[in-house]
Amino acid sequence: MKETKADLIKRLEGEARQVRRNIWRALRAGGSGHAGGSSSAADILAALYFHRMRVRPAQPKWPDRDRFVLSKGHANAALGAVLAQAGFIDEAVLDKFYAFESPFGMHPDIKMNGVEMCTGALGHGLAIAMGMALGARMQKKDFHTFVMVGDGELHEGSNWEAAMAASHYQLANLTVIVDYNKIAQSGPLNELIDIHPLVDKWRAFGFEVKEIDGHNMAEIIDTLDALPLNAERPSAIIAHTIKGKGVSFAENTYMWHSNNVNDEIHAKAIAELAR
Amino acid sequence: MNAITTDWRARAANQTRLAFGQALLELGAREPRTVVLSADTQDLLGIRTYIERFPERFVELGIAEQNTIGVASGLATTGLRPYVCAYAPFITARSMEQVRNDVAYANQRVVIGAGASGISLGVAGGTHHALEDIALMRSLPNMTVIIPADADQAYRATLATLDIDGPVYMRLGGRVEEPPHTGVDTPFQLGRALELRPGNDIAIIACGAMVDLAVKASDQLKSEGINARVLNMHTIKPFDLDAVLKAAAETRGIVTAEEHHLVGGLGGAVADLLSIERPTRMRMIGMPDVFAVVGPTVKVREKYGMSVAAIVNACRELLEKR
Repeated sequence: MKETKADLIKRLEGEARQVRRNIWRALRAGGSGHAGGSSSAADILAALYFHRMRVRPAQPKWPDRDRFVLSKGHANAALGAVLAQAGFIDEAVLDKFYAFESPFGMHPDIKMNGVEMCTGALGHGLAIAMGMALGARMQKKDFHTFVMVGDGELHEGSNWEAAMAASHYQLANLTVIVDYNKIAQSGPLNELIDIHPLVDKWRAFGFEVKEIDGHNMAEIIDTLDALPLNAERPSAIIAHTIKGKGVSFAENTYMWHSNNVNDEIHAKAIAELAR
Repeated sequence: MNAITTDWRARAANQTRLAFGQALLELGAREPRTVVLSADTQDLLGIRTYIERFPERFVELGIAEQNTIGVASGLATTGLRPYVCAYAPFITARSMEQVRNDVAYANQRVVIGAGASGISLGVAGGTHHALEDIALMRSLPNMTVIIPADADQAYRATLATLDIDGPVYMRLGGRVEEPPHTGVDTPFQLGRALELRPGNDIAIIACGAMVDLAVKASDQLKSEGINARVLNMHTIKPFDLDAVLKAAAETRGIVTAEEHHLVGGLGGAVADLLSIERPTRMRMIGMPDVFAVVGPTVKVREKYGMSVAAIVNACRELLEKR
């Protein structure tokens, strides 16, 4: 029986909730972590891995797979969570967050199944994703490359080198998703260096841009299903999100960009996410 | 193939940077996964013939070194074999983080052809000199570092990258002639120093443009009755430990010569090894701890002791003073 749209949304929302629970599970194992930027990305990651992306978890290096590069690598807890839920890695790996010799550290490592690139130093992912998209075109492959960047990450000038080149090459098989949670490590982004007007910037750099609510699953699905937004341009999805989404005490505060997580805090977070 | 082998030498004009570009043409024909990337460096590496022949396997990325390295890494993950054409000073210092993370840490098969190294762009001034690139690149795990001394060696070394399963930094010269010392039939052996002059009195270990000066110094010393072994240390990583230890054991001292700061380059690599394994009297020829002045390459080299006379003196000094 074909899954209805309502069922799909419900399923993906369930996966996203599980992603959030798994983020906190990893953070408890690590004793700390980037709850804010991991949680803001959870809904989009769930929609990518459990709906939009063509992947084979049992065959992580399948050459025709869609690619996802987590340029904002500090959200690795969220990536680990979806990779575990999708079956790329064993769920037990989530309890090895930050552990000695673990493949699952603070930032993505290519040594872990399903991870496409070592990221975390900001401003690298878009160039790498652009290389993947070019590689697809050169080899006449139809896979799509997604890259998620943080909003604060856009301070890094290298992003704009990559953006300029990606639109020059009309890489419609490339989509950048901005996790626009508006808060960085030191405080509100617009008090550090404002990135507004963000839509105009991407448009000026030759991207087809769509703004969405990054926590509205229907909107996320519709946008991902509509890709490419333009057959001759790379796409930019600016997803308005809430840092720490899903756990009240972690929402909208730079304090939870990264913070310590003990058993008590974990239990509180999980209690909120059980609903 | 004969047409290629005869034509390329004329086009390379005794310059390693151009030999690299010519070798890409042969690589393109031999390996369909070859992709060449330019950061507005089409003439620096002499790749216009490659671009004409393989336009679909060429990517121009403009004056954006960080992006060029990132794109190369991304291409490599899809199974392609990217060759980055770049200026040594910019592709190392400016995009060091991309080289370190996206290429070396992720262990991607990216070859960086870095022209205009050392003070080959002498008149351009300190912003355009690359005198720390060997130190930067050799400090990276997974990275192979090759410094061809002449066009034949550059050509063969470039072809040899077909068999290197990991990142490569190839340090190339600028618009300065690099006289031939490698025999036309001499194979390129990665990580194996090439002995250009025999000798058991003293050993000169040189790389890149300094190999020519080392050979000339050895020939001059020969007329004085001193036999100076010359090793062309074309691979800095993996390093030929055996050749260095053998030279230390069989001669009375070692002189290193490189167009690079004396920190962390060839001399440093030799000294690191010998200080632990076999303390040996040494002299190091190279750039002292200052930024170089503006000027024609040869004159600037001479000012800082990168000359035949300075190498000869260093050899004499080691033999005279005990």
